[in-house]
Amino acid sequence: MAVHKHTYKDYTGPRTPAWSRFLVLARFGFARVYHLKFLFLFSIGCLFYPLVCAAYIYLSHNPSFLALFSIPADRLPHVDGRFFYFYSIVQGALAYLLTAFVGPVLVTPDFANGAMPLYFSRPFSRAEYVAGRISVLLILLSLITWIPGLVLFAIQSSIEGWDWMTGNLWLASAIVSGLFVWIVVLSLIGLALSAWVRWKIGAGALVLGVIFAGAGFGAAINSLMRTNYGALIDLTQVAHTIWSYLFRYDTGTEMSLTSAWIVLVVTCVICLWLLAKRIRPFEVIK
Amino acid sequence: MTDSANITLDNVSRFYGEVLGVNRVTLSIPPGITSLVGPNGSGKITLMNLMTGLVRPTYGEIRIRGIAPSEPQKLFHLVGYSTQFDSFPKGLTGFQFIQSFLRFFGYSSATSLELAGRAIAQVGLTEAADRKIAAYSKGMRQRIKLAQAIAHDPQVLVLDEPLNGLDPLIRAETIALFRRWADEGRHVVVSSHVLHEVDLISDRVILLTGGYVVAEGQIHGVRTEIQEHPMEVLIRCDQPGALASRVFEQEHVVSAQILPDGSGLLVQTRDADRFYRQLNHLALDNIQIESVAPADDNVNSVYQYLIGGEEVSK
Repeated sequence: MAVHKHTYKDYTGPRTPAWSRFLVLARFGFARVYHLKFLFLFSIGCLFYPLVCAAYIYLSHNPSFLALFSIPADRLPHVDGRFFYFYSIVQGALAYLLTAFVGPVLVTPDFANGAMPLYFSRPFSRAEYVAGRISVLLILLSLITWIPGLVLFAIQSSIEGWDWMTGNLWLASAIVSGLFVWIVVLSLIGLALSAWVRWKIGAGALVLGVIFAGAGFGAAINSLMRTNYGALIDLTQVAHTIWSYLFRYDTGTEMSLTSAWIVLVVTCVICLWLLAKRIRPFEVIK
Repeated sequence: MTDSANITLDNVSRFYGEVLGVNRVTLSIPPGITSLVGPNGSGKITLMNLMTGLVRPTYGEIRIRGIAPSEPQKLFHLVGYSTQFDSFPKGLTGFQFIQSFLRFFGYSSATSLELAGRAIAQVGLTEAADRKIAAYSKGMRQRIKLAQAIAHDPQVLVLDEPLNGLDPLIRAETIALFRRWADEGRHVVVSSHVLHEVDLISDRVILLTGGYVVAEGQIHGVRTEIQEHPMEVLIRCDQPGALASRVFEQEHVVSAQILPDGSGLLVQTRDADRFYRQLNHLALDNIQIESVAPADDNVNSVYQYLIGGEEVSK
């Protein structure tokens, strides 16, 4: 038996707080995403509609512009719940497309390269892995959804004045809550499905397919069975229902708000379950 | 050596659904170089995953130097793991890879830069550190994997096939590195299918098959305990015939076979120690003995005797 002396010394210097270590993964996630020029350009392109909205808000309050083109100010659509409801539909759809592009880029390579043991043989938990990856999606999607939405609200407030802002604060909270819930759901779907498909393009197609297929099947169920329950598997309908409630804009949807919230919660639970099943430090090959 | 300084597994079983990973494994592994040897599906990777806290046992208890896997924050500071398979984040250079993964341990940017440089120097990759891993050769990828396992200065190193793909020079340097770590009092647990290398580097071996540990300990001790296979001793001498007739007089000698080239004798004995003691007397009558060496006191023979014709994992 060899005699081994304990001659080395452990590191005793300072360490960064454990809670902040998921940011290491987020940082490299951004590097991975913006390494692809297409994603960078698409993200920039997603800000086109908010810019159009900002221009509309400014010009619709500009008397000389309205006079120049003889546009009666009272006939222009108001910046109200309806305005932000349609803003949410457009930006929500773009957020969905961005998720389908970015989600697989973040997660699929880790599975394709068998990198899970690499992460989890360090003081880094599965929850931190998900936090690190989802934070990239949440930040990116926030930058194209509720943050520009709040900027539009701020522009409108600065033009209309204090009274308009205090009277419409519910709009700001609707923009934040409505779009934040949507991007959380999208991020979870993006990560969960990407974790199950090793091929990036396939994972992206699956993310796209979930919503399109849901809408298609939902419509088919409604048509064949003459019910409205099919809408429950159409996540876009679910989101529109919640937004119409939050923005106080009646779209005539027959889905109840409670049903819509339940569908979103169930979707999130299923995604978390899929992530918990898949994000493991080892893989059993049967 | 106290159990708090060892890796201990107490009646550990791990099942993946109905698939057996390892079953009823009880081990106490002291610091030093320990090799895991076994055929495909014998449970080596499961055992390594158990030791690194990546897999929790279905039954039984594990302690890594006194720390249970239920304390992952402590455990993972203690353990360095290099998997058999290539797994590198895309687009990073060797240096970025090591440095970024050090940040998970909570090292500051400056400390992680310093540790990454040191680890890369230890595996001799300094010149290639700023190249993308995707452009690395197999041997370089193997070394960068080793660097990520040692960069945080762990007390327990678990290395799956660490010598695969290394050229002879680097292989020798890496083995010397293992020896140095072991001499510093660290655990170095390696799996390898190159049995002569296992012989060369290991302080002890653990032989696995079908999820069970079939033998563990120092090679010589394990070999001595295999009673059903007599020990083989190779004797190089000038009169093998005369020596053969002498050794046959000993009741513990099972067989004596003259080598085809007539340069010596292969003796099978049930008591090797006694045979060595008696050999001086047997060779008194002008028989010139050039060398005496055990012929099957090695991992390869132990493997053949205990695991038989099963193929060594590749």
